[in-house]
Amino acid sequence: MTKKVNLRFLPLALFVLLLAFLLKGLFSDPNERDSALIGKPFPQFELPDLNSDTQIHTEKTLLNEPLLINVWGTWCITCKYELPYLAKLAKEYDVKIVGLYYDQNHAPEFGQYADIPAIRIEVKDMLARLGNPYQYNILDLDRSLSLNLGVTGAPETFIVDGDGIVRMHHMGDVNERVWREKLAPVWNEISQ
Amino acid sequence: MKLFVIAIIFILSFSSQATEDQIIFKSEQQKSTYIEVIAELRCPKCQNQNIADSNAVVAKDMRVKVKALLDEGKNKQQVIDYMINRYGQFAHYQPPFNFATSSLWLLPIGFILFAVFVQINRSKSESEPHGNTSELDDELAQLLVNPLDAEEQGVDNILNEDDTIDKKDKR
Repeated sequence: MTKKVNLRFLPLALFVLLLAFLLKGLFSDPNERDSALIGKPFPQFELPDLNSDTQIHTEKTLLNEPLLINVWGTWCITCKYELPYLAKLAKEYDVKIVGLYYDQNHAPEFGQYADIPAIRIEVKDMLARLGNPYQYNILDLDRSLSLNLGVTGAPETFIVDGDGIVRMHHMGDVNERVWREKLAPVWNEISQ
Repeated sequence: MKLFVIAIIFILSFSSQATEDQIIFKSEQQKSTYIEVIAELRCPKCQNQNIADSNAVVAKDMRVKVKALLDEGKNKQQVIDYMINRYGQFAHYQPPFNFATSSLWLLPIGFILFAVFVQINRSKSESEPHGNTSELDDELAQLLVNPLDAEEQGVDNILNEDDTIDKKDKR
């Protein structure tokens, strides 16, 4: 008798389980996933500064102190909303932020070339308006460093410690909540 | 006029293709590997597309990189590993068998085994003779032997049975 009752409620139990599973899926953020780079050294690169063709940055430039690497572009709307907050972080919390400029248009394979002087003017204008959080900007014109970093678009932010190890990879904008809940704990740990 | 329109359509369709798809392959072999790989790699920006389908900048970059890696002489698995090392297991549409993915494979097998188990159990209990039938058989035998005597007993039995059925229903 009891066994029959158990079996009768089995479909209901399965249905409730399925419901719980789907409900969880409804509220999960598909962009929340582990980056493949956490705990690994920052990839090697050799790229020019955004404002000077002759000044070359490499992964060694990033060593010695914890950094926030922010992937951004003037074309990116979310980046505009993120900039003032990043500027605040740089000013008030003394967070060192390096920009990795991600250009969308440059694609030599398809005969498209970015207009670097125009980019420089846009960047200067935008940073003057919204605040400048960056120590300097690395120009990743062909997005090769971005590919090595597993960047999917902009904005994205990395935390790199003084030994050049990637500690955090955040996709999406940095705001008060993201900083407090996700980035600050890691940042405080490595900047002690 | 008709010919002119057709000509225009032809010219337009060719020119839109030309900018994107001018990839020169070293061999047919390389071409088929390339097509296989870009169908198997998942666009990290646009969740449910492979990089062959997607027009996102990152998908384009990944396609270009796949071609470059194949030109370097890397094989299919090496190219896929290259992308997994950067974009994680997420970027590959054929997940490996591990703890996290095991339920995907084991759950359906479990369901089938469970269904077979239930079905066997059910057919077993159906083929077994019911207790009631043998009781009724006894009654029938008695009726046949001694119709008058058995009738009273039989009525009693039936009354008793009715009682138990009532009790069952109330429960």
